[in-house]
Amino acid sequence: MNRKEFLSDCGKMGLAGVTLSLFPWLESCSPKAKLAVQGEKVRIGIIGTGSRGLFHIKHLVQMPQAEVVALCDNYRPHLDNAAQYYPEAKLYDDYRRLLENRDVQGVIIATPLYLHAPMTLAAMEAGKEVFCEKSMAYTLDEALEVYNRRKALGRVLFIGQQRLFDPKYVKAMQMIHEGVIGEVVGVRNYWYRNNNWRREVPSPELERHINWRLYSEYSRGLMTELACHQLQNGSWAMGQLPEKVMGAGSLIHWNKEDKRDVYDTVSAIFTYPNGVNMTFESIISNKHFGMGEQILGTKGTIDLVTAMHYTDEPAPKGSGMHQFIEQIERGVMSNSVFAGTSWAAESSALAPGKPIMQDVKVVSGESSVGAEADGSKELLEAFLHAVITGKQPEKVLEESYYATQFALLADKAMHENAILTLDEKYKVPYEPLK
Amino acid sequence: MKDSVITAEMKRRELKLWLVCFVIANVVNWCSIIKFATPWYEIFTQVGYVVSLSLVIYALIALARIAWWLLHYTFRK
Repeated sequence: MNRKEFLSDCGKMGLAGVTLSLFPWLESCSPKAKLAVQGEKVRIGIIGTGSRGLFHIKHLVQMPQAEVVALCDNYRPHLDNAAQYYPEAKLYDDYRRLLENRDVQGVIIATPLYLHAPMTLAAMEAGKEVFCEKSMAYTLDEALEVYNRRKALGRVLFIGQQRLFDPKYVKAMQMIHEGVIGEVVGVRNYWYRNNNWRREVPSPELERHINWRLYSEYSRGLMTELACHQLQNGSWAMGQLPEKVMGAGSLIHWNKEDKRDVYDTVSAIFTYPNGVNMTFESIISNKHFGMGEQILGTKGTIDLVTAMHYTDEPAPKGSGMHQFIEQIERGVMSNSVFAGTSWAAESSALAPGKPIMQDVKVVSGESSVGAEADGSKELLEAFLHAVITGKQPEKVLEESYYATQFALLADKAMHENAILTLDEKYKVPYEPLK
Repeated sequence: MKDSVITAEMKRRELKLWLVCFVIANVVNWCSIIKFATPWYEIFTQVGYVVSLSLVIYALIALARIAWWLLHYTFRK
């Protein structure tokens, strides 16, 4: 595909103006690449048919290149629910039996975090290509093992970091890399919700099985379930990895209602080698500010969630006549001040800003399952394309790997009350996405 | 009701008056350019505002003339 064709295809994806060489992993999403694999089908097995697994199934049924031939879950209601979409699929309650099915080419793993690495490793060993939900693993060592094993076996491995495929993030990152907001001097991420993060449990013995996110035996809580998505923004924007991390986490509210042991309030700071800080904060007992991801530059700010660009540079003042008329207006219209503040914050936060692209789908971050038009569908399509071509896209696995490692490292820093750096043994070759 | 007659002399006088207003508006534009250090090409690009300002000045003068005429008419009676 030549550059002109790709740009045309990008336009159809809502990515008009995006430069091919900067985002090679998106090529698989273009109509041209889809045409190249037209008529091909990937036989998929899904391990974990809960809410996120079902979210993927609802996308897969719309994709002619996907054929779900096997479903697996050890919770029968979820399995039966998923089977309604693919009545012909074979049903399993043990993922190892599914992996023995030679008909399955690729698997989608949407299970609790602690199972991600063992299942991914087993699937790759069984000769399957793998799409695993984020985070990549429950421990730093497991993530490294998965990364190294994939490399040795030469399998396709995708992790569910869908922002890499979300048109508004792609467009924003291109603008950042082109210097539109100047030098990047800060990255702010936050994710606020006001709900207990619980799923309904039909009987008490299923509490840990269904609400695994709330227990440290199965999950690392907010860092691996939410932060992992946002931490990747920093590396993407900065083109480098954090050097050290510190953080604080507490259980301040929801533990009054249940026996959870993962933090419901976390704050973490990631410092890059050039001194720039990236922050992540999450509170799940107040939702006023919702979800936010902002890249701060010397010339302006890009809000990734709302796809808005705010400039720090003063707006052009207009002609001399305009300024003269405005001065008269100010003189006539302003009230006489005899008491008031003597200090005002220097802020451009109230500036209206400009959208970076048209028809932006803004995701609130309130859903624990996923949102439409957040890149998940494109990510899944890219996985299917990679299975058909047998080609692992460059760089994206490393992004997912480090997003997981830094989420886990921050969680560790919170528990150890320490400032931590990523041990050399966990470092894998990293090429920035710019 | 009597017919109103606008003579050529009256038209010439009003046109001259507006011309004076236009010059004043231009002077305001030059002063603005100097005061706010904006480019001199605004002498041409801002001509629309200059014409508008000249009409505003002309209208203000017209109001003053009407007021003067009303007062004059009242006291002459």
